[in-house]
Amino acid sequence: MSTNETDAAENLKQYGDEEEPELDRGPVEQWAANAIKNPDRAYKAMFYTATVFFLVTTLFPFYWLLMVALTSRGNLQNIVFTPGSFDPTLLAEGDVFMGTNPMAFVEVFMTVPFHRYIFNSFAIAAVTTVIVIVVASLAGYVFGRLKFRFKGPLMLLVLIVSFFPPAAFFIPLNQLFNTPVDVMRPILADGTLYNTPYAMLIPFSALFMPLSIFILTTFYAQIPDGLEDAARVEGTTRVGALFRVIAPLSAPGVATAGVLTFIAVYNEYFFSSLMTDGREHNWAPLVEGILRYQGQHEVLFNLMAAASIVGVIPVALLVVVAQEKIVSGLTSGALKE
Amino acid sequence: MADVQLEHITKRYEDVTAVDDMNLEIEDGEFVTFVGPSGCGKSTTMETIAGLTLPTEGTIRIGDREVTNLPPKDRGVSMVFQNIALFPHMDVYDNISFGLRLRKYDQAEIDRRVENAAEVVQLEGMMDRMPDEMSGGQRQRVAIARAIVRNPDVFLMDEPLANLDAKLRVHMRTELQRLHKQLDTTIIYVTHDQAEAMTMSDRIAVINAGQLQQIDPPLVCYNEPDNLFVAGFIGSPSMNFIEGEVTESGFTSDHVDIDFDVGAHEAAVGEEVTLGVRPEDVYIADSDATIEDRSGRFPAYTDVIEPMGNEIFVYLKLDEEGEVRLDEQADDQVLMSVDPDIAIDEEHRIDVVFDRSKLHLFETASGEAISHGFD
Repeated sequence: MSTNETDAAENLKQYGDEEEPELDRGPVEQWAANAIKNPDRAYKAMFYTATVFFLVTTLFPFYWLLMVALTSRGNLQNIVFTPGSFDPTLLAEGDVFMGTNPMAFVEVFMTVPFHRYIFNSFAIAAVTTVIVIVVASLAGYVFGRLKFRFKGPLMLLVLIVSFFPPAAFFIPLNQLFNTPVDVMRPILADGTLYNTPYAMLIPFSALFMPLSIFILTTFYAQIPDGLEDAARVEGTTRVGALFRVIAPLSAPGVATAGVLTFIAVYNEYFFSSLMTDGREHNWAPLVEGILRYQGQHEVLFNLMAAASIVGVIPVALLVVVAQEKIVSGLTSGALKE
Repeated sequence: MADVQLEHITKRYEDVTAVDDMNLEIEDGEFVTFVGPSGCGKSTTMETIAGLTLPTEGTIRIGDREVTNLPPKDRGVSMVFQNIALFPHMDVYDNISFGLRLRKYDQAEIDRRVENAAEVVQLEGMMDRMPDEMSGGQRQRVAIARAIVRNPDVFLMDEPLANLDAKLRVHMRTELQRLHKQLDTTIIYVTHDQAEAMTMSDRIAVINAGQLQQIDPPLVCYNEPDNLFVAGFIGSPSMNFIEGEVTESGFTSDHVDIDFDVGAHEAAVGEEVTLGVRPEDVYIADSDATIEDRSGRFPAYTDVIEPMGNEIFVYLKLDEEGEVRLDEQADDQVLMSVDPDIAIDEEHRIDVVFDRSKLHLFETASGEAISHGFD
């Protein structure tokens, strides 16, 4: 700090010191007076208030899930802010879990083959994401980098697909996938797509494609023509230039489109529950697995809660890994269009 | 190494013709520069050779192969771009070796070639830098290394020095000449900077409005321009043009008359013609400069004087009264370049002479050259 600034700060302090004693203020009044003199404090207070508010509202459901998962079956009604059977005094008696029931996270897999459900959702989401990214990249290249007639109307047509509620497609698709097709008999047991992963891959790819095409179009359009020309002269085809130069340089956009697709498909329930019979070997998704803890005579709420937490972990990990790219992708996409 | 032939290359877009019936033969190992004003079609011509744009009509041969419709990667060409176009997500080594890796060369061969190319452009020890950590000149060297590493038949350069600062540009110019000697490859170079064209090329192709105007060695383009466009474009400052007509005794205009033997120069009496004279071929009549073939004296007034250090540019008004007129005709004004040690003032009446052996005569209507130098 330079001398001038120090002086100024001291003056201000003196000024403040002179003013203060004349008024008899309560603590709130005092804080308000300080906030007026120094608005940064007020902004900081507002920032923390808002942050805490959003953190509580988003994280509280997870907190509650955790509490339910840790409570043993008989104590569910006793949850306040700690697991129902939580008792710290039990630590002295040698119970390291203090009356909670972390074994629920193991029981989850013993009661129902929940790992298989996670695998189903994960595999379908991963394959859909790959299909969507590859096809949307080709479409994005065409819409973003080539000039041709009717480009605008065609792009609009693609986007219109995403305007329909997915439910509108369900009945015709269900009919279609339940119709036996003889030529498919050698590959599919009864010649229908019902109870196969394809019954989910196909509609998901179609439904999530338009958004990805739109995101990738805006990104691919930004890459200078010179780079593509250079790649082509150096020895790639147009498609080679797309996947070796244009797509890597649009990594934030590709990551954004990929993660949005992955999360949407991973969490999907409506289509998947209707395209399968809910059994794990028939590619039933995660949510079907959670519903399996609901029996005819009892509902294992604590296991459902534990299963939900376990199911969130893969997506949480993915988002943490891709976070940096997604953030820059979402914001730059917003600025560019 | 290979020669390049363009036959009747035409490129039409919806409403414009970018290249119009271009015929060119570029010999093996030759350094040819396409030069012309912005938008004249020189870059489009180069893109058709590279294969980045397909011509509407015509054929292109490189060596003994017809490549008109081949994709760029199969033409045996490499290219340096105006905006340098290094791949920003790859380091120097990956950039240079990109083409080799695509062609599945084995690792030892790639390393050897990259090392050689880096040595040629003096980039040793920078292999793991990223493009955004390098200066403009270094990036340009990487781009050149990337182009030479594949031993292309033809080396295309599209204004590679345009984005560099003036000093670096002059430096890279000599380096490119050295490179051409060293590689002995056919080089096609596009620029709008005629200094680059003059200094580096074996031949210059002057292009205007999509049409080839002249293709000749630099000094031939300078001394014997085929038409008015080439005469005005090549040379800086550009040639003075004086409009007039042919009479029985020679050339006549409002202020300048030159006698010559009309019969010997394919000029018809009464024809509208334009006389061209370069600034360095205009002399002060009373100076002791040696002039090969003096013309008659013309009265002139000095207007603006621009001392350049090594020479002085003097704007002359040929009007006899020497009055400043706002609606000046082109033939009222002539630019003269004189030695820097000649004392000369603005707004002075002087007499000037032309060197008759360096005068050019063009048909005004068609722009075609009639004659270079009178004897």
